[in-house]
Amino acid sequence: MALDEAVQQELTRIIEANEVVLFMKGNRQAPQCGFSATVVGILDSILPSYHTVDVLSAPEIREGIKVFSSWPTIPQLYVKGEFVGGCDIIQEMVGSGELYQTLGVEPVEVVQPKIEVSPAAISALQQALSQYGGGGRELHLSVDATFQSHLSIAPRTPADVEAIAEGVTLLLDPISASRADGIRIDVADTPEGQAFKVDNPNAPRVQTLSVRELKEAMDSGERFELLDVRTPEERAIASIPGAVLLNEEEAARIEALPRDTKLVLHCHHGGRSQQAAEQFVSLGFTRVFNVVGGIDAWSQEIDPAVPRY
Amino acid sequence: MALQIINAGPEPEEVAGRIREAIEAALPDARIEVLPRGPGHFELTVTDAGFEGLSRVKQQQRVYAAITELMSGPNAPVHAIDRLECRVP
Repeated sequence: MALDEAVQQELTRIIEANEVVLFMKGNRQAPQCGFSATVVGILDSILPSYHTVDVLSAPEIREGIKVFSSWPTIPQLYVKGEFVGGCDIIQEMVGSGELYQTLGVEPVEVVQPKIEVSPAAISALQQALSQYGGGGRELHLSVDATFQSHLSIAPRTPADVEAIAEGVTLLLDPISASRADGIRIDVADTPEGQAFKVDNPNAPRVQTLSVRELKEAMDSGERFELLDVRTPEERAIASIPGAVLLNEEEAARIEALPRDTKLVLHCHHGGRSQQAAEQFVSLGFTRVFNVVGGIDAWSQEIDPAVPRY
Repeated sequence: MALQIINAGPEPEEVAGRIREAIEAALPDARIEVLPRGPGHFELTVTDAGFEGLSRVKQQQRVYAAITELMSGPNAPVHAIDRLECRVP
């Protein structure tokens, strides 16, 4: 199949304009296929930002890139103008460490994470293993980019890192291992029956920022996104200079930003902004701050000209 | 009750033959094994001296380039290559 010249030019332009570009189904925030999601998870853990092209919204790109790369599947990763590979190859390259070199970043040092497993969880894991394990199938723990943990039973891969807790061996891929030190696994009763409960101390949490710290950050010229989660009616009464209303459009803009962007959220007293901040953490943002006391504290401690209400 | 519709496509053996011919045209000295693995799915082993010194991606790109036509479009006879192994003799 011949490649349309316009499509070829467009692909060349995209690949030359972006040092790292991933042709995928969906986008970073919402990958639309498991293979694309796997590669996004890997890249997110290594790179603060990279370019993605959603082939589902551009059929000519979707077919064109296959011919362009001589590669029949999506996702496809290009780095510095060179085709690197698809999902399988990228996973292998993480294991061998080659991907860090390709991307030009320092490799993550693979350490054996310390994992604590409660006696109840040990017996539940052993039971699951005796039922579903065997034939080279072992227990795996993975920790995704939003620090959600997943337990599964599957064959070992060469890149896996071992963590041994009370005689039970857990296997982790190198990126999961870097997020897993200090994890505690327990079992909890839920309405659906017993389930594993994983507590990960590495998971990013909402951090707090006093109004004084906010003022200092503003004065220092540090770059961050200051978001006001109140209603437009409240903003009409009083607002902090530089704060942007977090409406739907603004939320969409923020969601597309690199995950290490510093986000500072405020509301009237700090309650609503805490909830909004937790949402951004669950989307994978790692530097999310809630302004303690909200605009009310700002009026009292920083700027009395901002009316209280 | 939903009725399952089975769309009769080309016979896997016939498609396997077309895959073989396409690769032979691009890599005339290659030894080619094509295994049908269900409708539209195939496993390939291609052995060619020309693979010497190439990365795995580059080796596989040579094979995929040869069969692009069979994998393109909504009615492509080949949906997926489940496994592609490239070997140097």
